[in-house]
Amino acid sequence: MFGLGGTSQPSISSAQKLSAAEAELDMVTGMFNSLVSQCHSKCINKSYNESDITKAESLCLDRCVAKYFETNVQVGENMQKLGQSGQFMGRR
Amino acid sequence: MDQLNVKEQQEFQQIVEQKQMKDFMNLYSNLVSRCFDDCVNDFTSNNLTSKESACIAKCSEKFLKHSERVGQRFQEQNALLMQQGQR
Repeated sequence: MFGLGGTSQPSISSAQKLSAAEAELDMVTGMFNSLVSQCHSKCINKSYNESDITKAESLCLDRCVAKYFETNVQVGENMQKLGQSGQFMGRR
Repeated sequence: MDQLNVKEQQEFQQIVEQKQMKDFMNLYSNLVSRCFDDCVNDFTSNNLTSKESACIAKCSEKFLKHSERVGQRFQEQNALLMQQGQR
């Protein structure tokens, strides 16, 4: 994901590879869990009149996921810009 | 992730299974907390009222449907992102 883990150097050890894979897994599951929780708060009606997801809710959910990804990409780009401009974390 | 050898893949599989167990416990306790928060507000009795109990049933069923749908969209968006990254 995000092109991580694509840069393979032949010299890295087994433990390093495993912990990188683990970190990637943690990131993806963390992202998924927060997506589930946040889109639930934003889209699902809390009166629970029915156990099915309504049409309006499913439309909201689909857009919620798409927008979450778009936000993710944009924040990434913004942070990259900040990093390059050198005003971030005291880098020159 | 694809460059792990067989032994590393086995080790990784174990890590994945441990995390899945943890994840399931987390899901469970989150669902309890969410449905309790949304459905149980009347403390004039020791037991859940039939209304509360019906609400909890719907709340949990709906949440599972919800996370299934979000999971599908997540995979689609993820695949899209990977595709764009390769160009």
